[in-house]
Amino acid sequence: MIQHLLHINHVSKHFGGNVAVSDISFSVDEKQIFGLIGPNGAGKTTLFNCISGFYPVTSGDIIFDNRAINNLRPDEICHMGMARTWQRVKPLGSLTVLENVIIGAFSITNSTKEAEEIAIEQLLAVGLSDYAQKTAGSLPIGLKKKLELARVLATHPKMLLLDEICGGLNHTETETILGIIREVRNKGATIVFIEHDMKAVTAVCDWIVVLNSGEKLAEGTPQEITGNPEVIAAYLGGGHNA
Amino acid sequence: MKQIIIIAVIAGFAALLPLAIGDSPYFIGVLISVLMMAALSSAWNILGGYAGQYSFGHAAYFGAGAYTTMILISKFNFNPLVGMVAGIIVACIIALITGSIVFRLRGHYFGLASIAVAEIVRLSALNFDFTGGAQGILLSDVSLWGMDLNSKIPFYYGMLLVLVFTLGIALNLRKSKTGYYLQAIREDQDAAASLGINLSFYKNKALLISAGLTSVLGSLYAVYIRFIDTSAVLDLRLSIEIILTAIIGGVGTVWGPVLGAVLLVPLAEMLRSNVIGDVLVTQGIVSENSGLGVFLKGNLAHAHVLVYGIITVLCILYMPKGILGLFRRKK
Repeated sequence: MIQHLLHINHVSKHFGGNVAVSDISFSVDEKQIFGLIGPNGAGKTTLFNCISGFYPVTSGDIIFDNRAINNLRPDEICHMGMARTWQRVKPLGSLTVLENVIIGAFSITNSTKEAEEIAIEQLLAVGLSDYAQKTAGSLPIGLKKKLELARVLATHPKMLLLDEICGGLNHTETETILGIIREVRNKGATIVFIEHDMKAVTAVCDWIVVLNSGEKLAEGTPQEITGNPEVIAAYLGGGHNA
Repeated sequence: MKQIIIIAVIAGFAALLPLAIGDSPYFIGVLISVLMMAALSSAWNILGGYAGQYSFGHAAYFGAGAYTTMILISKFNFNPLVGMVAGIIVACIIALITGSIVFRLRGHYFGLASIAVAEIVRLSALNFDFTGGAQGILLSDVSLWGMDLNSKIPFYYGMLLVLVFTLGIALNLRKSKTGYYLQAIREDQDAAASLGINLSFYKNKALLISAGLTSVLGSLYAVYIRFIDTSAVLDLRLSIEIILTAIIGGVGTVWGPVLGAVLLVPLAEMLRSNVIGDVLVTQGIVSENSGLGVFLKGNLAHAHVLVYGIITVLCILYMPKGILGLFRRKK
């Protein structure tokens, strides 16, 4: 039986009078690669911030692993097995790459030695082993994105929320990251994935939800979404007839 | 491991130092000040350097230790060690109240609140009767296990012991989960929270460790000097001196605060006793009767705060990672 790992139930988020996310509902199944797309300002990152506990929702429920998580702190949500990356990367700048990943690994162990072993393993998995002793702040953007990925993977999450993990990367780098994501899913994790790059999304996602101006515009398989005239209109602007 | 050996070697050397310089109370006194400032600054560094939470009110915890100990000894004739333990408890209660309220907020609120709390503690001590008010507390006699507490030597070893203990904690923390978590909080609180770090728990933990150690030093200092008042143990100047020592030595490193204290305390002492002015005059570099000579003899002693300030400004401009930062290779 397929389980809903994450269930978003009529979630809204208002900032004062601004409605950033309005009455969104969808479910993410276990071991899915789930795409959340939409134009700038559609509310994708706001929704991520709500799911990961950084913003309280204005109304609605977020159920993860059969438990309501609306009122949990980000660190509690992380301990439940949900980890996120940041669109604007947040490396722990003056620490080394290895130390960054060790800190992620400490969420599942108290031993420094074990955390280090997990970290080395994850650096190998994303191909950052050569940079282990470099200062995280000194890495170029492509490697910082890989570091974000290694750091959340070290928490051994059930579900990964990736916020534009391919943003600003070139074609080869994007391919590498997508390869890693597929591998992580094959090992049993579920992935929710915000992305701008339609090609990247359609290449890896099983299911896609499209947001526009804070509302859900459509959902379906990549084929259904790329053929949906409303989605095309939202991406190209209302005046165009696709 | 290497660092533990360094601590052992330096501590061994420091332990032999009084034998080498004999019983000069003046020099032992200066050395005690160096050890105390090194330990205070190291304790502050666990919170300010590792976790990036700058406390501008550590005098509150120093004073909590000093006052609690002195009140228990002078009014109730307690053993000084009991006073020390009680001091830790009082300091930790003040820390917990401050931390549990202010650490929910981010940014500079903790820094501001730490000044406010320290001033509340200072003004309370100044106005309550049981703290001796403006007159402070004087201790005519104190004893512990039959030691000669009129000599400075027991306090020298006491300070050394607390310093070694503090450095041991600082070193041990650095390679532990808590130490890593504190550094993550310093670097980026959002990233830290998203990696499963309970921000307020770990900030409070760092504050409690730091406040507890600071209070032990306050107790030791009070029994050593046998007289305390608010300007001696609760003054904002003390809080600032602790921070400057850490900044100039190297914030966030194990050895920076020690280096800062070794350089700054003797320098301040030389300025205060006007050794520098005297040497310039007796060596004939500056004529005693010239305008400059008169100025130096008259005023240099008051200039140690100014010199501290100038060094700090130069430090921030030219070596933001402190003196120790100069020797660190960039990775």
